[in-house]
Amino acid sequence: MSTYLTKRLLYMLIILFAASLLIFCLYALTPGDFITGNIKLTAERKAELREIYGLNKPVLERYGLWMKNAFHGDFGTSLAQQKPVLQLFGDYIWNSFLLAAVSTFLTWVIAVIVGVVSAYKQYSWFDTLVMVAIFAAMSLPSFFIGLFLIKILAVDLKWLPPGGMITTGSNATGLAYLNEVVRHMTLPVVVMVLLGLGSLTRYFRSNMIDVLQQDYIRTARAKGLKERKVLFTHALRNALLPAITLVGFELPALFGGSLIIEQIFNWPGIGQLYMKSFGLRDYPLLMGFTMFIAILTVIGTLFSDILYRVADPRVRL
Amino acid sequence: MRKSTILLSSLLLVGSLLLTACSNNSNTNNAAATGNSVTATAAADGATGSAASSSPAPVPAGALSEPYTASDLSKLPAAAQKRTDTIIVGLTDPSGAFTPYFQESGYDGNVSSLLYASLVTVDEKGVPIPELAESWEVSEDQLTYTFHLRKDLKFSDGSPLTADDVAFTWTIQYDKAYDGGSSLPTLNVKGGQAYKEGKATTIDGIKVINPQTISVTLEKPNATALVVLGSNVLSKAYYGKDYKFGSLEYIKKLHEKPLGDGPYKLEKFIPGQEVRLVANENYFKGKPKTEHFIYKTSEGDVWQFLETGEVDYASFSATEENIEKLKALGYVNILPYTPSTYGYMQVNLKHEQLKDKLVRQAIMYGLDRQSIYVDAQQGAGSIANIPASPISWAYTEEGINPYKYDPEKAKQLLDEAGWTVGANGIREKDGKPFSIHYLGSKSKNTDIFIAVAKENFAALGIDFQPEVFADFNSLVSKVEGGDYDLVSFSTSMLTDPADGFMQFFDGEITDYENPKFLELYNKALATSDIEERKAVYKELYQLFNDELPILFTSYKKTVYAYNGRIQNLSVSPFIGLAGSLPEWTLK
Repeated sequence: MSTYLTKRLLYMLIILFAASLLIFCLYALTPGDFITGNIKLTAERKAELREIYGLNKPVLERYGLWMKNAFHGDFGTSLAQQKPVLQLFGDYIWNSFLLAAVSTFLTWVIAVIVGVVSAYKQYSWFDTLVMVAIFAAMSLPSFFIGLFLIKILAVDLKWLPPGGMITTGSNATGLAYLNEVVRHMTLPVVVMVLLGLGSLTRYFRSNMIDVLQQDYIRTARAKGLKERKVLFTHALRNALLPAITLVGFELPALFGGSLIIEQIFNWPGIGQLYMKSFGLRDYPLLMGFTMFIAILTVIGTLFSDILYRVADPRVRL
Repeated sequence: MRKSTILLSSLLLVGSLLLTACSNNSNTNNAAATGNSVTATAAADGATGSAASSSPAPVPAGALSEPYTASDLSKLPAAAQKRTDTIIVGLTDPSGAFTPYFQESGYDGNVSSLLYASLVTVDEKGVPIPELAESWEVSEDQLTYTFHLRKDLKFSDGSPLTADDVAFTWTIQYDKAYDGGSSLPTLNVKGGQAYKEGKATTIDGIKVINPQTISVTLEKPNATALVVLGSNVLSKAYYGKDYKFGSLEYIKKLHEKPLGDGPYKLEKFIPGQEVRLVANENYFKGKPKTEHFIYKTSEGDVWQFLETGEVDYASFSATEENIEKLKALGYVNILPYTPSTYGYMQVNLKHEQLKDKLVRQAIMYGLDRQSIYVDAQQGAGSIANIPASPISWAYTEEGINPYKYDPEKAKQLLDEAGWTVGANGIREKDGKPFSIHYLGSKSKNTDIFIAVAKENFAALGIDFQPEVFADFNSLVSKVEGGDYDLVSFSTSMLTDPADGFMQFFDGEITDYENPKFLELYNKALATSDIEERKAVYKELYQLFNDELPILFTSYKKTVYAYNGRIQNLSVSPFIGLAGSLPEWTLK
């Protein structure tokens, strides 16, 4: 296991290195830089600014410098926001994480329960209803559901706030603050759960159906085990195994922010910030964030491999 | 698919932000086409807050021409009803860089315009008037500006504001590490270049005469200098404490802790959420009447916030639909407004066919601008024919050709220019077919333009090839590469009429060489006499209207809707909310 880990870590470093180079070059080759967009500047001023920002240096030199600083924990200063990149992450990423973590958790819990029950009662009215609902949810565009819910629940009925994370100007602390945030995140979480639920439920349902047809389930039942025990101890565990791979991929998504949801609900997350930075060619921020997601992806895959082994000792690493 | 739609529109948002990004003067608020940013406010005369008349004025052809007063304040949402000492305004995306001269986005400019006062401000027509400076003199040769500061000026922490602070503010903009967008360095202050190159430790042209008086000498006259020099003042004691020539990095740490002298001071900045401001008791005009002012970050649609009472003030495109919807709310006052900008198409003057004035005129006659910019926008626009906004003091229609849609005239001009209809209906000259390669940014307006222009150009016998960019940077790169014939742009906020010609001096348009233009342009800058300048600009506008080095397209029209409880909300198109905000009260 430990040699495996060492090897994996080494691979990870190589992958990250290659990814960073690739990403850096891609950004460098995209037409236009941070200064291009400011059409009010004279050619001389543009040259001066490129000099100040170091944008006039060759790509590889810039990359080297960036790597060097990154190793020292310095991801540079955002050009557009005039703040250190890491500080910006701190400002925005936890908001995204909060939203994503809560909705991912709810999505999984609901998907497992609904998936298992509808697999167990395959072709029952419940199963049919679930399948219809799933297709309906999957075929709706997120911005449509989002705006629809805002219109009904926030604007017309005034039950929930239409957006943001706290009531504007509020100085609430402690429980009152918590209550405010929960109220504000209800709508975005509902939309995110609705959107994620469909595919995951289908996934669990079909896994469960496969497992329930296995011989060992029949054996378990034949032994006279209680149906509940058969379902939850024998079947569910095996049905959930393949899902561990999915868990690893959730990790970057937790921190990556959802551009659409954050935009519709005015949520102060990193997704919006990232998109804006792309339009402005704010390289320090773009590079920092992309690398961060790359690192999370690699860690996520490693994490799911290890989990897999823990869950199923037959799996060799 | 939907992901990409959102992606594209957000890129566009960013594009429009950049397009209008304010870089020279933080007084200038920014108008983004998205209708949710706070921009320079409506052009109504005097106070409009008093609910004197309740009968709405009739709406002529899609646009609101008169301010409209809320019909039923009892409909005001509870959230807005509850506020007694707080006004909330939506703003697209303040980043937290609140130091004037050092911010990259115009949205930060909206914030800093409330945190900092200027030496000189402008009135509703853009004419300079005193603010921190009580008065000023300009020397006979138009080179030396002497500012006299008011007595007992204070920064918000109570420390005195003197001529030394002004000198410091001007000086650091000549630092070689200065990376902001201020246009002060382009004024050529005497000795500024030497300072920048490190050959001098102070700037020769800047002289502190006494704590209340400071003078500055330029190398050549420039009528815009008064407003540029007369911008915000940074405290030397605060911003200059760690200053060493050649390094300005330290200032970034102060961005989120601004020390200003404006009507409000920063209470708290919550990234991505809100900017909380509190009234400054040391403001030279007296403490503002409303204690708290909040800019709420609101990306995208702001309707829902106005409808739930979470914001008190928002701007919208002046379409018939929007105006009807706003009136139906009942609790908002509405102000019509034309921003101080104009839209135009940059022409690639390097291309043989477009070098010809007759061809450019033919395009102007041959494009149905009324359909594209007025009718298709439900009246939220009007036609531009000169490089100035209708609200500028220099604006004129005298001797200006309106280029009314006239395809026959266009064809005739093209014939005259030697472009004759070839075999397949496309015009040719010397065997070369006439084609127009058009670049535009991704937006609904561009879609409309392309649809109409395609038909219009086909009727003229011109092969029209549109190309649409989702990303503003890519578009600009393409333009810089020279691979285009026409490209649509809009100016940023214009304060001085000279700003309307900016594109000819900042390296954007390099191929228009006309000695007459330069002569008139410099003549207008060489004097500070408004009437004299007006006359010169009229000549300039007539010249441009005939020569068409750029093709004028349109003016935008917007409306501002605000909580009917707000009183004393008067507006000036050049300085945004900052002008009247200290007077706002909640009824």
